[in-house]
Amino acid sequence: MVLQGEQAVQATGRDGDGPRPARARPAAALRVLLGWVLVIGLWELVGRTVLADRHLIGVPSGILGTLVENADVYGRGLWFTTREAMIGYLAGNVAAVALALLVVLLPGLERTVLRLALVVYCLPLVALGPLLRLAYGFGDGPQVTLAALAVYYLTLVPLLVGMRAVPRSWLDLTATYGRGRWTTLVTVRARAALPYLMAGLQASVPAAFLGALVGEFTGAERGIGVLSIQALRSLDTDGLWALMILSAVVSMIGYVLVSFIARRLAPEQPTVLLATPGADPRRPAWRRWLVSAGGVALTAAIVLLAWAGLFWLLDLNPYFAKRPWDVWEWLVSAPTAAEHRAELFTAASQTALVAVPGYFAGLALGVLLAAAFSLSARVRRALTPVAVALRCVPIIAIAPLLVAALGRGSFGTAVVVALMTFFPTLVSCLYGLGRLPGQVADVFAAYATPRTRVLVLGRLPAMAPAFFAAARIAAPTALLAATVAEWLATGTGLGNMMAVDAATSRYTSLWSTVVVVTLMALAGYALVEAVERRVLAVVAPEQSRW
Amino acid sequence: MTGVQTARTAGRPAPEVLCTAVAKTFPGPAEPLPVLASLDLTLEAGSVTALVGPSGCGKSTLLRIIAGLEHPDAGGSVRIDGDDPLEVRRRGELAIAFQDASLLPWRTAAGNVALARRLAGQPVDHRKVARLLGMVGLAGFEKARPAQLSGGMRQRAAIARCLVTEPRLLLLDEPFGAVDELTRRRLNIELPPLWSGATTTTLLVTHSIPEAVLLADRVLVMSARPGSIVADLPVGLERPRRMQQLHSRRFTELVDRIGTLLGVDEYALGQG
Repeated sequence: MVLQGEQAVQATGRDGDGPRPARARPAAALRVLLGWVLVIGLWELVGRTVLADRHLIGVPSGILGTLVENADVYGRGLWFTTREAMIGYLAGNVAAVALALLVVLLPGLERTVLRLALVVYCLPLVALGPLLRLAYGFGDGPQVTLAALAVYYLTLVPLLVGMRAVPRSWLDLTATYGRGRWTTLVTVRARAALPYLMAGLQASVPAAFLGALVGEFTGAERGIGVLSIQALRSLDTDGLWALMILSAVVSMIGYVLVSFIARRLAPEQPTVLLATPGADPRRPAWRRWLVSAGGVALTAAIVLLAWAGLFWLLDLNPYFAKRPWDVWEWLVSAPTAAEHRAELFTAASQTALVAVPGYFAGLALGVLLAAAFSLSARVRRALTPVAVALRCVPIIAIAPLLVAALGRGSFGTAVVVALMTFFPTLVSCLYGLGRLPGQVADVFAAYATPRTRVLVLGRLPAMAPAFFAAARIAAPTALLAATVAEWLATGTGLGNMMAVDAATSRYTSLWSTVVVVTLMALAGYALVEAVERRVLAVVAPEQSRW
Repeated sequence: MTGVQTARTAGRPAPEVLCTAVAKTFPGPAEPLPVLASLDLTLEAGSVTALVGPSGCGKSTLLRIIAGLEHPDAGGSVRIDGDDPLEVRRRGELAIAFQDASLLPWRTAAGNVALARRLAGQPVDHRKVARLLGMVGLAGFEKARPAQLSGGMRQRAAIARCLVTEPRLLLLDEPFGAVDELTRRRLNIELPPLWSGATTTTLLVTHSIPEAVLLADRVLVMSARPGSIVADLPVGLERPRRMQQLHSRRFTELVDRIGTLLGVDEYALGQG
């Protein structure tokens, strides 16, 4: 391939819409203020009239009242949740950096480490909550662990991309002087990866909250998640909104803080998106298949070994800490195995029937809205901050709210899934639509091409890497969202099954479900990735270098 | 060449470009950055004008202003046969080649060239696309994507993309910057017949003084930022230009003179 890194980075690095000079006008500030007053007034009005009995919308006055009234309880809950999220955030990110260093120094391990990392990321947090609680006993341990698990992959992937997205010429520089990997890592890669690390650190702030909240939803003693469940049970809509807003605000503060540090340390924006390392297209197809199949088998073997070995090392009680062979017996060799499989299959198809449409609806909505934004510079400028703000909200916090509002049917679950997919997709696509290099945009301008045509011919293809990066990560998230909603309410699907299993101590069944959910998430991820490879090979061949 | 297209462009003679009081100041990080001092400029219909000057003197900005991609500061205006540049762009009569080839990475070389026809509202003519790619030395690379081409090859594809629409106003911003020296010399001779003549007015930015003299009817020398035109030199060599003219006295004199004006005479002679 003739194209080298430098050019690729330049080609993708130019932004179509540069930052505009800020115009400080008091009139504009007044208008914004007026707009907010209007929105809140309208919100109050709608909440008190049209939607008064739906348990959907808390009204601003009620939310404020609840906040003041419960300041003490909510404040303590918020502190616990925030602390769990912070410790988990630190632990998860330290793990991500350590893994990335390992991979850079021993590149041969990369595929295997990434695969294992993905398997761990695809574990159903919902089921891990109660299981970890049995292992840790009373306390914040499970929530912290879940927060770390939700975080580390989101940092690891961009960090690895950053370590590779170094212009070839920079690497040649250290090679010219005969220096090795360590020097290259210290002098070139570490600095080049910094913006990517920062992007990962930002994205993982709400994820830390998500992990902590899922832990609290699934049986913790204290925290915002526990208060949310109580509010949900007592149909306290204002309370649910107040709690959601609280966790959103804290998450946003964390996000802003990290962004501030990021701007100080690495002001430049990361230029290349999260394409995972591609297979070498020069190899014949059968060899690529063989290599992937071997990799998958190796990963499976390591996972099984680690599973059994870890439990043995930690001497976990086999009553709840089931081993691989217990699951095998439950699903395959036991006389009742067929029943177990049927039960799991029913639950899995229930979940899939909700999660798959929700996922695609979320993706479609995200792309459509982003495309609509991109047609009007004014709308885009107005709504991009909103979209960015939404990126730092732990969307899972609204799951109880939606369940309360939309009823305990599959529709509510599908909406939760769609929202969990929609927001990251929207944010990522908005970013991606701006990825059309400035001079390419000028080529369109030279023919006075109308915006809709620039969108179809230029911006949408340029957006593809960003879209797929979001779609890939969203596949396991969609399953997580579905199982959380099912756990909280519906009484169907895998989430419900895990809740019942955990409550009735059917631990072998629970572990089997964990295995199945993980495999489903992995399958979803792999499917999206397969489509991504096909599309990006045409649309963004420069990405496949990484 | 399709009949429709020939009729359309042949029916309209090359336009005259009139720049009046065109100045440009960019909002700098600390204070405004004047890039172009106010300049008046007329490009005669059908002429080829070369713009030379030190880096950062606003050559590219002037090109973009003439294309209407950038607006001049208040008071300045650009008229192409009396029309606003936007109208000319809407009619698909303007083409511009940028310093970066700016090809769409997901289209093949031929696809990128053909795209210009579509954008200009002209029927896609695959034979013409293939012929132009052949002329810029990319025969056999029609199906290659930009990532598979070298920098110089990408730039040549971009030139083909410019020419495929038979523009009435052709703006070239260092079109041969990344092209290797041998190919560059060949293109300098072979391409001008495609754009000089009755139908096209051309403005070209280049860093190579010999290239400016070889290609243009008139060379404009710009000063350092904020850019203004310090010399306006008619070339007066007969067309079609040939390699032999590189060694004529008129040619070397002009190259020397421009080099002196720019303060880089040794460099310029080295290039010749």
